[in-house]
Amino acid sequence: MKLEGYKLIFVVMGLIGVLLIATPALAGDIHLPSGAQFSELYLLGTNQMAENYPSNIAVGENYSVYVGVGNQLGSSAYYVLYVKFGNETDQMPNDTLSTPSSLQPLYEYRFSIQNSLDWENLLTFSVSNASISGKNSQINTLQLNGVAFNVDKPAIWDSKSATFKYQLLFELWIYNSRTSAISYNDRFVDLQLNLTRTL
Amino acid sequence: MALGSCLYSEPYVFAQTDQTTSKLQAANTAIEQAFNAVLDAEKAGANVTALLAQLNTAAGILAQAENSYRAGDNTTAAAQADSVLPIAQQVTASAQDAKQTALVVGQNAFWSTIAFTVIGAFVFVLALFLVWRRFKRSYIKSLSEAKPEVNSQ
Repeated sequence: MKLEGYKLIFVVMGLIGVLLIATPALAGDIHLPSGAQFSELYLLGTNQMAENYPSNIAVGENYSVYVGVGNQLGSSAYYVLYVKFGNETDQMPNDTLSTPSSLQPLYEYRFSIQNSLDWENLLTFSVSNASISGKNSQINTLQLNGVAFNVDKPAIWDSKSATFKYQLLFELWIYNSRTSAISYNDRFVDLQLNLTRTL
Repeated sequence: MALGSCLYSEPYVFAQTDQTTSKLQAANTAIEQAFNAVLDAEKAGANVTALLAQLNTAAGILAQAENSYRAGDNTTAAAQADSVLPIAQQVTASAQDAKQTALVVGQNAFWSTIAFTVIGAFVFVLALFLVWRRFKRSYIKSLSEAKPEVNSQ
């Protein structure tokens, strides 16, 4: 090989070496595309598994579920988790329009989560005042984590499933630091409940 | 007398509700400001784990206040909303301090990296140049010492 060929090899080695040495300084300015950013909302049964969810409920009995939220947004986030209570005819959140249910929230959790971390909490609920009369039922008082709420929610006998259908709805809302507002995060889970008996 | 009592107590209930609502609003605003400060600190590179834990304490009390308010317990809701404010303000102040510290640490780290890059690159290029000079000298020497070959035509 001629001297010019060796010279070229040295120049290339020099450039590669300088680039390697400058890598820590360049790393701050190079932003690789991040993965999908999203929040998770999940509901678990009493043993913190996706099983043994309460469904048939009776007045005076306590029931529990674990509700969890995961943050995969790339930075810390401040969430509000609303718990709503409705019957079969109440409007659920709309997936297509990304709108929340029109039901008023009864109970709420507020918390912030760092990126890639989860938050989980136990919700204990019970029906403390309800009535069944023929094909009509009404739940008057619902206790959520020990706080009693007047709900006065009626339900009509569903002959197909042979139940009085109610639902506990969990909606995830998130704080947007740009708009300084808390808005619906397009995530919800619902727990179908069947009122079986009153006192 | 009963009518008088009703007339007297109703404005009181409304005033208490309004007062509770404004206290809840103030607590909400304080929490949001605290979260914004924590987020800024996090973006600056600060470790915000402890700050978020403290913020969650305040946020949990605010949630309890909102729940009490919905359950009709205005007195408890107002007291809980009041107790949110000092925690949220402390989080905001601590987050602003953490942000300043992180910015200084980040700036120092940046200049250290630049200095390391410049010095490292200079030393590397100099070393490579010296190696190249030595290599070139030995290459030329080996060429000059080489015996000419006779080419028979």
